[in-house]
This record gives sequence, structure tokens and C-alpha cells, in this order.
Amino acid sequence: MKIAAVLLFTALIPLGAQDIKMPASLEKLAAKADETVDVTLDASLLKLAGRFLSDKSGDEAPAKKILAGLQSITVRSYQFSREGQYDPADLEEIRAQVKAPQWSRIVGVRSKKDRENVDVYFKDGGNGNLGGIVVLCAEPTELTIVSVVGTIDPAQLASLGGQFGIPKFDFEIGSIGWRRDGK
Amino acid sequence: MSPRLLALFLAAAGAAYSADHEFDRVVSAVETHYGVKRTHIPLMGLANFVVKVAHPAGTSGVKLAVFEDLPPAPGGDDLADLDRFMNEVCAGRLHPMVVTRSRLAGESTYILTGEVGKSTRMLIATFEPHEATVIEVTVNIETLLKMIGSPETAHRLFQDKHDDGDGGR
Repeated sequence: MKIAAVLLFTALIPLGAQDIKMPASLEKLAAKADETVDVTLDASLLKLAGRFLSDKSGDEAPAKKILAGLQSITVRSYQFSREGQYDPADLEEIRAQVKAPQWSRIVGVRSKKDRENVDVYFKDGGNGNLGGIVVLCAEPTELTIVSVVGTIDPAQLASLGGQFGIPKFDFEIGSIGWRRDGK
Repeated sequence: MSPRLLALFLAAAGAAYSADHEFDRVVSAVETHYGVKRTHIPLMGLANFVVKVAHPAGTSGVKLAVFEDLPPAPGGDDLADLDRFMNEVCAGRLHPMVVTRSRLAGESTYILTGEVGKSTRMLIATFEPHEATVIEVTVNIETLLKMIGSPETAHRLFQDKHDDGDGGR
């Protein structure tokens, strides 16, 4: 029975917290990029960081609240010297993963002027919370992929930007129609 | 001594030994890979023991190895080769938290951790065209998060302090 319980628990973990798998093709982009940043923060680090941050300090309290529910943060950022160094198809493998029913594309920006494409996907975490966020930001000479897995209160989403290697988000939840009931 | 206490003591001693071992192993691997010896830093041990003010806030137990006049790596300037080298050296023991690479500056920084705890042993390895630095330091969680936020400056915090301490060598 013990073994069965362990097996069941192990099998259930991926259902609750599924990391977005970064395609192997991204590793090849690192070889072409002028500047790259890889950030990989796992659950143990995030949990621990949250535990030791003060819930009274002005700076630390919001971060502590966010960290409490997070499972992982992954950031991949590539800056190229010239255009055409990456293939938009490199992102298809990620897009395929966020096509699952629990994922919704909340923001899709296509700027012809700046030739900047931004897609933001939210995973429904139930109870009005998010279960994960994926941000794909593709510019002619820059590509940034952010994956945050875990329970996130939408109201705290903006606080994630600029921390833990995540670029600042330039959007507000209210302006894109995300509602706390997730509908 | 109760068996539980003994087990805890052995586990703590094992973790401490393993942390020290990681620094030496990475330094030794860099020496072998590049065929260089680390630069001797006069009174580094004494400075580390006595001059606690030299450590940035939230850090302790700094170990530093500097490699000057670094020849080109056996794999050339290929940053992917450096990634492979670091992955092999750290596989299963240290986890890369942050990796930054600048092809323009020819600089790569790896921030790695072992077991994360209230105080975390962290290893920062920076490779520049003619110089490499390996730093092992115990940081508290606030400092760890700050370093994740600005990895490019992490190694300079320690290197500059020690450069000042020995007159810039």
C-alpha cells in the first residue's frame, strides 16, 4: 500500500505543476546570440526564499506572497546582432504545449511598426488563481521566453516583473479583461 | 551521543565537506581544461578569516580563485563548449540557477547552487577572454535573490573587494 501511495503521489505531481518544456532548438540559439540569459529556479529554492523573506517588510512582503505558490521560474532571453537569427518556428513547440484546454492566450500583440510580437498565456489554476504563465516576446533581434509555474494571484502578477530574472510586464490584468473568477 | 544526533552530525559534516570539495573540484577542472594554475592571492586565507567587512552584506566564507592570462579554451571561443564543460563539471552536484553569456564581451557567468537552505553555498564562475574567476560563498536568501536579479554583477562584488584588499595584485 505504501508503494502504491508513493506511486500515486508521484503520478499526481505532474498534473498539478507541469513545467513548460523548453525546446532543444533554443539551445542552438544560444550559439548564435550575442547575449543570452538563462534563469532556472526550482520549487525548493522558491519555497525556501519565500520562507525566509519577511511578510512585514515593504519590499519583501509582496515577493513572499508570490513565492508561496510558485513551483518554478524559467527565463530564456536571447539578443542577436542582426535579424533572421532565429526561426519563429522555434517557438512552435512551446505554443503547442500551451494549446492544452487549461491554457488561454490572454494577450496577443502584433506590432507592425516595431515588428514586435508578444503572446501571453495563462493557465487556469482554479479558484480565480492562475496556475501558470507563459510569455513569448519575439522582436527582430530579441527573443524572450518566460515560464512561471505555480499558483499566482492575478492581482500580484505585475509584481513578478523585474524580479527573479523576469522582464517587467507592461500590461495590467484589468486592461486585458482577466477576471478573478477566471471566466 | 544518540544515533539521531550522530546521524545529524555526520550529515552536516558531509554537507560541509561536499561544499568545500565542489570548489576545489571546479578549480581543478578549470586548471586541467585550460592548462593554467590559479593565481596566488597573498593572504587570501587571512583576509577571509579576519576582514569580515570585506564581504558584501549577507555573505560569508568566501573562497576565490582567479585565473589570469587564460589561454583560449581547447574548444576555441565556442560558448557552447564552455556550457558543456561546466555541465560536466557540475553534473548531479550543483544546479545552474542563472547562466549569462555575452558573445560581444566574450564573458560567461554561471551561478550554481547545491542544497538550498537558510544559508546557501553558492558557486559563481565567470569566464572572460583572458581571465576566469571561481568564487564560492555562503549567502543568505536575500542576497541570493539579489544575485539572481543581477547576475552580471555578482562576481564583481567579491572580486573587486579582494582586488582592493591586495592592492590590485
